[in-house]
Amino acid sequence: MRGLLLSLLFLVAVLTAGLIGVQAQTLLDWSPEEIRTIGHHGPWPPPPVRDPSNRVSGTAAGIALGRHLFEEPRLSGDGRMNCASCHQAGREWSDGLARGQGRTELDRRTPSLWNIGYLHWFGWDGAGDSLWAQSIRPLLDPREMNGGPTRAAELLRGDAALACGYEKAFGTKPGADDERLLVDTAKALAAFQATLVSPRTPFDDFRDALVAGNRETASRYPLAAQRGLRLFIGEANCNLCHLGPRFTSGEFGDIGIPFFVGPGMVDPGRLGGLQRLADSPFNLLGRYNDDATGDNTRRTRHVRRLHSNFGEFRVPGLRQVGRAGPFMHNGSLATLEDVVRHYSDVSPDRLHSDGTPLVRPLGLTVEQSGDLVAFLRSLDAQPPPRAAPAPLCP
Amino acid sequence: MRLVTALLAASLATPALADCPLDLGRGTGWVVFSGQYLMAFRPDPLRIEVGEPFALVVNVCTRSGDAAQLLAVDANMPEHRHGMNYRASLVSKGDGRFRAEGLLFHMPGRWEVTFDVAAGAESERLTHDIILK
Repeated sequence: MRGLLLSLLFLVAVLTAGLIGVQAQTLLDWSPEEIRTIGHHGPWPPPPVRDPSNRVSGTAAGIALGRHLFEEPRLSGDGRMNCASCHQAGREWSDGLARGQGRTELDRRTPSLWNIGYLHWFGWDGAGDSLWAQSIRPLLDPREMNGGPTRAAELLRGDAALACGYEKAFGTKPGADDERLLVDTAKALAAFQATLVSPRTPFDDFRDALVAGNRETASRYPLAAQRGLRLFIGEANCNLCHLGPRFTSGEFGDIGIPFFVGPGMVDPGRLGGLQRLADSPFNLLGRYNDDATGDNTRRTRHVRRLHSNFGEFRVPGLRQVGRAGPFMHNGSLATLEDVVRHYSDVSPDRLHSDGTPLVRPLGLTVEQSGDLVAFLRSLDAQPPPRAAPAPLCP
Repeated sequence: MRLVTALLAASLATPALADCPLDLGRGTGWVVFSGQYLMAFRPDPLRIEVGEPFALVVNVCTRSGDAAQLLAVDANMPEHRHGMNYRASLVSKGDGRFRAEGLLFHMPGRWEVTFDVAAGAESERLTHDIILK
């Protein structure tokens, strides 16, 4: 009797496992057009990037110097703040706060640095046309590191290890030109930041298998994520802006997030960013661009400043998005579920009058919202641990 | 091949076009006609990528043989009611040949490219759709 019971239990266990297996390992009927579209979101990771405007971009010595400077509090006015204060490795290179916290609370969220080397416009408003130019801003901004125009130069000249690291990276000892050394500090910082490439994710395994026709591997991707992906590239049209391997066009849009930052105060977004870009002595049209060909100035030379840029902010990439909330340029949405709800319910009245009809209330069901969140979470992965930086000049 | 066919059709239909510089080289491109103008253009690089700057090599002429000018090149997405975030600049290479620099399509879909052309005081807008995937 006991043997019969055990046999029955075993049979039930085998059947149950089989059923679960069948239910969990299913592949949607993806069309060739859908597979082609999904293929555009990879492969990942992309080849390493090199910025021709930055002569130490992609160089080992430049990256090493930049990593040390990234964690250097003496670059700040009070010696208590460094880049890593806000861009924390353990928080997806952001800070987990709704709004950045410098010497005072800022108006915008600290953007993640993942995959930042692949961008062409930097900052939520795109006021920087290179990663090094963008890196100068927080060094000088009185609300952030408040370092002043000479601090970086004094540090590079006065600290033996940093001076040695500078000479390795740039080929000369730190000179007397303070502004040049400020720019070079930012170029080393940029060289380091450009190495921050997010890890492969469950989506990447699915994408590669689907493109290769490997149905067995592709079917391991959860069904909810597959349904969410189908919405993302189909009915919801998310991929018109969140496109390519990084899930961003790198351009700007108004998605109906309020731009008031205080009573009677607004954040003009891209409109203000373009003005600051034009006014900056550090833009690519200036004397610090290391690319003598000028090929990398095409965006800066031709970008338009339009009334419709008011209230536009940079389209963020979506890799690691589920691990890097709060969300939107001002951190006004706490969870991914809130973000999906925003797109589901957004009022056309909240969009700028010249805004594109790309953003419209999607009217998602509860299941569809859950599927979109499941897809977005499949763009997350645990980054590998980082080794401590080696000494600059042992 | 399509360009060759189009050029052949153009030359047969309009014998006055013998001097019209529609040959863009590289054996590819588009030809746009109107009652008065003929225009050929191709991208540089040949493949337009979403989010990447490109130029257009443009040759324009009139059916009457009068000199034609390219005044402006722009593009918009009619379905989304927005244009490019960039303004193209024009360089004249002489004899109806132009190069429009600084275009960038930041979104996949249908882009309507507009060419403002003129001969003397008369101007006209020619358009051509490019579907970007």
